Amino acid sequence: MTVSAHNIVKHFGAFTALNDVSLEAQPGEFLALLGPSGSGKTTLLRIMAGLEFPDSGSIRFDGVDVSTRPTRERAVGFVFQHYALFRHMTVAENVGFGLTVKPRNERPTPARISARVDELLSLVQLGHLGDRYPSQLSGGQRQRVALARALAVNPNILLLDEPFGALDAKVRKDLRRWLREVHQTMKLTSVFVTHDQEEALDLADRVVVMNHGVIEQIDTPDAVYNRPASAFVCDFLGNANKLDCTIANGAVEIGGHRIENTAPPASDGLGVAFIRPHEFDVAAAGQPGVPVTLRRLTRTGPMAALDCLTETGALIEMTTIEPPTGLLPGAALTLVPRRVRAYSA
Amino acid sequence: MVERSIMPGFGLTMGFTVFYLSVIVLIPLSAVFIKSAGMGFEAFAEVALSKRALYAYRLSFGAAAIAATINAVFGLIVAWVLVRYEFPGKRLVNALVDLPFALPTAVAGIALTALYAPNGWIGSLLAPYGIKVAFQPLGVVVALTFIGLPFVVRTVEPVLADLGPEVEEAAASLGAGRWQTFARVIWPAILPALATGFALAFARAVGEYGSVIFIAGNMPYKSEIAPLLIVMQLEQYNVPGATAIAVTMLLASFAMLFAINLLQGWSRRRMAA
Repeated sequence: MTVSAHNIVKHFGAFTALNDVSLEAQPGEFLALLGPSGSGKTTLLRIMAGLEFPDSGSIRFDGVDVSTRPTRERAVGFVFQHYALFRHMTVAENVGFGLTVKPRNERPTPARISARVDELLSLVQLGHLGDRYPSQLSGGQRQRVALARALAVNPNILLLDEPFGALDAKVRKDLRRWLREVHQTMKLTSVFVTHDQEEALDLADRVVVMNHGVIEQIDTPDAVYNRPASAFVCDFLGNANKLDCTIANGAVEIGGHRIENTAPPASDGLGVAFIRPHEFDVAAAGQPGVPVTLRRLTRTGPMAALDCLTETGALIEMTTIEPPTGLLPGAALTLVPRRVRAYSA
Repeated sequence: MVERSIMPGFGLTMGFTVFYLSVIVLIPLSAVFIKSAGMGFEAFAEVALSKRALYAYRLSFGAAAIAATINAVFGLIVAWVLVRYEFPGKRLVNALVDLPFALPTAVAGIALTALYAPNGWIGSLLAPYGIKVAFQPLGVVVALTFIGLPFVVRTVEPVLADLGPEVEEAAASLGAGRWQTFARVIWPAILPALATGFALAFARAVGEYGSVIFIAGNMPYKSEIAPLLIVMQLEQYNVPGATAIAVTMLLASFAMLFAINLLQGWSRRRMAA
């Protein structure tokens, strides 16, 4: 099912949570809403689910406006960060809940409900835990129960609000891989909210980067990382050194030193340049590039990390596989950026 | 061998706990039993199971049960409002709930009597319809409802707060209507706490004296509560007689406490998070 948001505006008192937001998720697509806290990503998800209502704008499922429909009539599967399982019900009762509350004439027979529950529990690899209570499960298991519960009613779309937010790093990674497999077998249009860029880039078909209630960029993980549309996206995704620069005649100058081979998309004037740590070459002092003083060199496995100070005192962190030998703190170097992304300030 | 523990002071604090509980709780309660044991079963039954006493028990336990039921219903609503909504004056309402705890019960009794007496503000409104509250068993129910309210509100409130709006949203997203959400999700979750609150309010109401004696009218066989009978026995210097009634009530209270503990254990096992 295609899910689309059209010109959504939402205020909480004086705070603008969403300011004219539009997007579309294609059938079977896995979309990530990525942004810092307060960027409006959870609000947008909750508006899609019908748990919040927009001040203006509309939500459409396959082109049909569902904006005024309450949650229970939208057939969305919603997975909460803190699971929101029913604690007094067993795992199997939790999963079957959505089927048992259907109107009497649509409700499957108890035998069919139980068969469906078994099927879902084996999908989430918890087939043997059906008669446990949620309190007897680990966090990762609880979240899988929550997912099975959401899938039981054959939802039109699956919405996940920071689904791995409450889990520790190891479980998070396993569950992420597993969720991608589940999504691939189900082909269900899914939207998930996260503030973890790694999660978004790893899982999603397309990433929606949000900030201050607006969408900064919607693109594939590769595109948002390598071709960020704005300074915010560039800064938010991955580590990048942020340096003041001037843009003149289509070239970037950092501290008065012209950087060759860059094609800034910005117009002339003051700007900010973003250079990722691995996108520098190290050269001897006096070469064209950014002159720096080495402050610290650390080796972590195959990589060496260099902390350098520019002439203006800005810190540059860079990594390289083969640093020049015999470098000591205080040494003068030149850093030659291979790739610069510059935006007007 | 003495087990080494990182927590210091076990011997001292445990000794104090046993001593304290003995002096404050155990010895006075045993004294009641010992006093009444000395009088023989015949004499015990004559006082404790007299017709007048039986009427008093019926009123004490019956009115307490009705009051606790009323509190269970309305206390739940109050707790719901306090947990789920933000509104101006919420802190004031929150403080008001505790007032029956803090207010000297005699003050409550006098205030309620003044209100519900046939010439009082509320009593005069009800009088034309032939409803009499003060100096009737109904007055006892009113007073016991007043003093029992905080027990229900304060036991249900944390459970409701802990339940959070998320499970309701989850139920709604799974297609449950409001009534189904309440009946299937909220009610089972708060039932143990509500039962505990009910039992506490009931236990408190059974033993209540101060607020009731003013409004009850204290007519034998009609609006006389069991604690009053104890006081009357004492006023006649019939200490064994007083303890006979006291023992009967004490056993009933023990039964209540036991039931409360069973309930709490049951809810803890099911809801342990």
